[in-house]
Amino acid sequence: MSLPTSPRRLARPGVRLAAVTVAAALALAACAGSDSGADPTSATDAADEEVTIRFSWWGSDSRHALTQQVIDAFEAKHPHITVEPDFTTWDGYWDKLSTSIAGGDAPDVITQEERYLREYGTRGVLLDLGEVEDTLDTSGIDPSVAESGSFDGATYGVATGVNAYVVLADPQAFADAGVEMPDDTTWTWDDYVEIATKISEASGGTVFGTQDYGFNEPAFSIYARQHGQSLYKEDGSLGYKDSLMADWWKISLALQESGGQPEASRSVEIDGAGPEGSLLGTNTGAMGVWWTNQLGAISKASGRELQILRFPGESESKRTGMYFKPAMYYSIAKTSKHPEEAALFVDFLLNSTEAGQLLLSDRGLPANLEVRTAVTPSFSDADKQSAEFLEGLREDIVDGVAVPPVGAGEVVPLIKRINGEVLFGQITPEDAAAKFTSEVTAATQK
Amino acid sequence: MAGIAELRKLRGSAPASVAPSERGDNKAALLFLGPWFIGLLLITVGPILASLFLSFTDYNLLQPPSWTGLDNYARMLDDARLHQSLRVTFTYVFVSIPLQLALALALALFLDRGVRGLPFYRSVYYLPSLLGGSVAIALLWRQVFGTQGLVNQFLGVFGIEGQGWVSHPDTALGTLVILNVWTFGAPMVIFLAGLRQIPEMYYEAAQIDGAGKVRQFIAITLPLLTPIVFFNLVLQVINAFQSFTQAFVVSGGSGGPVDSTLFYTLYLYQKGFGALDMGYASAMAWLLLAIVAGLTAINFVVSKYWVFYDD
Amino acid sequence: MTDTATSLPTRTSGAVAGPRPPLARRRPSARARLRTVLKHAVLIAFGLIMIYPLLWMLASSLKPSALIFRDPSLLPSEIDMSNYTVGWNALSHPFSHYLLNSAVLVLGALLGNLVSCSMAAYAFARLNFKGRKIWFAIMLMSIMLPIHVVIVPQYILFSQLGWVNTFLPLIVPKLLATDAFFVFLMVQFFRGLPRELDEAARIDGAGHVRIFAQVMLPLSVPALATTAIFTFIWTWNDFFHQLIFLTKPDMYTVPIALRSFIDSSSESSWGPMFAMSIVSLIPLFLIFLLGQKYLVKGIATTGIK
Repeated sequence: MSLPTSPRRLARPGVRLAAVTVAAALALAACAGSDSGADPTSATDAADEEVTIRFSWWGSDSRHALTQQVIDAFEAKHPHITVEPDFTTWDGYWDKLSTSIAGGDAPDVITQEERYLREYGTRGVLLDLGEVEDTLDTSGIDPSVAESGSFDGATYGVATGVNAYVVLADPQAFADAGVEMPDDTTWTWDDYVEIATKISEASGGTVFGTQDYGFNEPAFSIYARQHGQSLYKEDGSLGYKDSLMADWWKISLALQESGGQPEASRSVEIDGAGPEGSLLGTNTGAMGVWWTNQLGAISKASGRELQILRFPGESESKRTGMYFKPAMYYSIAKTSKHPEEAALFVDFLLNSTEAGQLLLSDRGLPANLEVRTAVTPSFSDADKQSAEFLEGLREDIVDGVAVPPVGAGEVVPLIKRINGEVLFGQITPEDAAAKFTSEVTAATQK
Repeated sequence: MAGIAELRKLRGSAPASVAPSERGDNKAALLFLGPWFIGLLLITVGPILASLFLSFTDYNLLQPPSWTGLDNYARMLDDARLHQSLRVTFTYVFVSIPLQLALALALALFLDRGVRGLPFYRSVYYLPSLLGGSVAIALLWRQVFGTQGLVNQFLGVFGIEGQGWVSHPDTALGTLVILNVWTFGAPMVIFLAGLRQIPEMYYEAAQIDGAGKVRQFIAITLPLLTPIVFFNLVLQVINAFQSFTQAFVVSGGSGGPVDSTLFYTLYLYQKGFGALDMGYASAMAWLLLAIVAGLTAINFVVSKYWVFYDD
Repeated sequence: MTDTATSLPTRTSGAVAGPRPPLARRRPSARARLRTVLKHAVLIAFGLIMIYPLLWMLASSLKPSALIFRDPSLLPSEIDMSNYTVGWNALSHPFSHYLLNSAVLVLGALLGNLVSCSMAAYAFARLNFKGRKIWFAIMLMSIMLPIHVVIVPQYILFSQLGWVNTFLPLIVPKLLATDAFFVFLMVQFFRGLPRELDEAARIDGAGHVRIFAQVMLPLSVPALATTAIFTFIWTWNDFFHQLIFLTKPDMYTVPIALRSFIDSSSESSWGPMFAMSIVSLIPLFLIFLLGQKYLVKGIATTGIK
């Protein structure tokens, strides 16, 4: 989403006046007294008035079911509040959100993400959560992510949990192909390609070694960090060399050519299919890159116990590349008519053991430390694995990743498109890297 | 045909017939035309002017518009995705419309030669046209041409392994072209009606002169159909440039894969309502208007050379 | 050069033609019959190809999701209605909610178009007023205007009025005769009605309003029916406007609900999605069955799609 980050005032008042006059004239002439149909009038007092708030999130089927259960639990506790669910898949989420906001109809509680949070915050769309801190208590949040939603003197979002970008592997697929599970602390990128290729060959092409990693930029972020560079620097500028990105793409192309990953149009299809439709999820692949909190959904879809591996190349180059990410954020819309109720709901989501027990690791390893300790025993095997994995990772993670600059949200469709061009052979990796750099620069370095 | 007559009048040929009336009807006109006139100002003309104004600004709905002059238009010159969207849309228009109209004409001719149960066939061929603009059909199409879809299942019967037609940039647009051609029913009905209107005596006279069917077609049917072809052409071009739903649903809103189905209106939507870059979207809208108006004008001008009017 | 066949099979043509088909009883009609049979065969085959995707969708909606892509036959081995129940309840409201929304919208659009377009048409067809020709030309040109030129300012206007997420932006323009196509359609129709009727009414002392309401409208049922039917179809299917103006799940209409179906569930639940697609197409199909006469006439005379 490209927006003016420095709002320019209208140079000539006459022009603004003209625009306003046009709008006013049009408004005057329209018929009055129309029934706008939907919401109950805003309650100034939270107490016992019937209130409806809207909660938006993205995800796949299993997340929706889980979240509905949490909503039900909350509504049972606060009978006068109704939470209206508003969910889509990741792909459509941001367009829909911006249209809703433009329509003056933002959800009350918005699930946010680091690539967009800054932008929405500076646009003036999100409420400073400091204003509802009596209701929404953030003191119990994991210190490593507690401040991640704060900038410019306000807190625009609270982290829901912690996760990491990892390789998920299907031990059974490995066994079927007669390939040994690698040592994830030492394996290199060449190993990754080799293993994937071997698995594909062994299965005669019915089970692929891995799924393409280029549709999402965290994989590049890790690769860059391993080489001592980074996607973004602390000051928001770009921190990598184009040649490095070209190399990163060459690995995908090598995999595509060797058959280690599916051919281009299949990769495009799979990318759109989410966790449940992935290679791992449909038992047609042995590896894939995902966030740790997606392990549950994919395991369930695959019907198998999957294993978490560190990214290849962690000990190959200059340093480790993996990092902890604040999985998502909860924010409240500034235009919300019921900020108190919204804050109550977010507080429930983050700080109550009840919600924690239902969500487990779906939004990342729970951000509230007390909740985390309380619910860990109830973790599914998959979640336990994630938790242990993240603990194990803690020693080797050197530093965090810089908060993405405003406009970083545009990278999401951008890299999908350019990755597609690379996979279909329409553009060389070098040109793709240059194109990526120039477009990301245009989007973020304004 | 009425529509054609009206279009010709716009070119300034036959004057509209006026019913003589003893008193001026201005007051009555005010009453009857009132709603239309208000609509014209508020919903049509006003917004047209407003969008012209907006095209010279930078506006994101949340902050006041700021004047940027010709910036948006300059950006359009450098915008590779805009050029891609123009390529995609022009390809769609210039490939699917001739195919669609040819098929419609062919079937109209086939049906016109007196087939029992004509209304039944006409209905069957018309039905897709009715449903074609719906989201449901677009969703269906995405599946029919998907990797495991109907088309590939069919090809599989012959041992041909199909690819993902919708997910490959070389073929994705083709699936949309096929969808448009699938809806040939409406132009076909128009052609049928037009064929009906050709006086039988022309054919009889030709037959007496010894003209064969092919000759009759070339000398009689085709020329007399040209006004209808022209009419269909003008309307279909205007409509096709505004295609949105199919591209949106089949590509999931992305215009992909790799912008191969990025219709102009889809890109406009992405810019205006996705990125909230309303100034740019307005500039794009004006370019669209210019293109459509230009093509329509060309259509009219060129029509002098190939459209044959009976009078 | 002789031509081996003429446009109409006649008694004589068979005699002059080539070798007689073996089983012919009456020489002339056997060849013609064969041709007719072939013709029908081609038409039916082609028709089947055309309709096949629809039939496949219908069949798939009755199969469990897993079977849809594995079993391509049109006749499901077991009829499973569960897709319909699952799909009905898959979104945050039962599908009937969205059907109702679409219905309300369509009703509003219908009333708007029928009233305002017929009124405007009467003015153009029967009234003589200053600038009539110019306004008529403008009306015609507005038919060809791409909607995208006006959509952004319209959105801004409606957003400032607070009408976004209501049905108003979709209905009010209909009340103001912005669907100029129907104005045009009715003008053509009115022009075909004899003026003697007007004159007769005028002699009886009727003013324009009465002539319009009591003479023109009752005689215009075909044009009104055509307007109604096309308004129904276009509004029911109108994705773009509904996408832009209705962003709250509560207000979703059928096209938006369908699309959010694929948006909010994983790609593998095709069965319920097809089921709801079928449900959404049923009203169109009904209109098609019941209103064919008007549909065909309407298209044929004015070239509307």
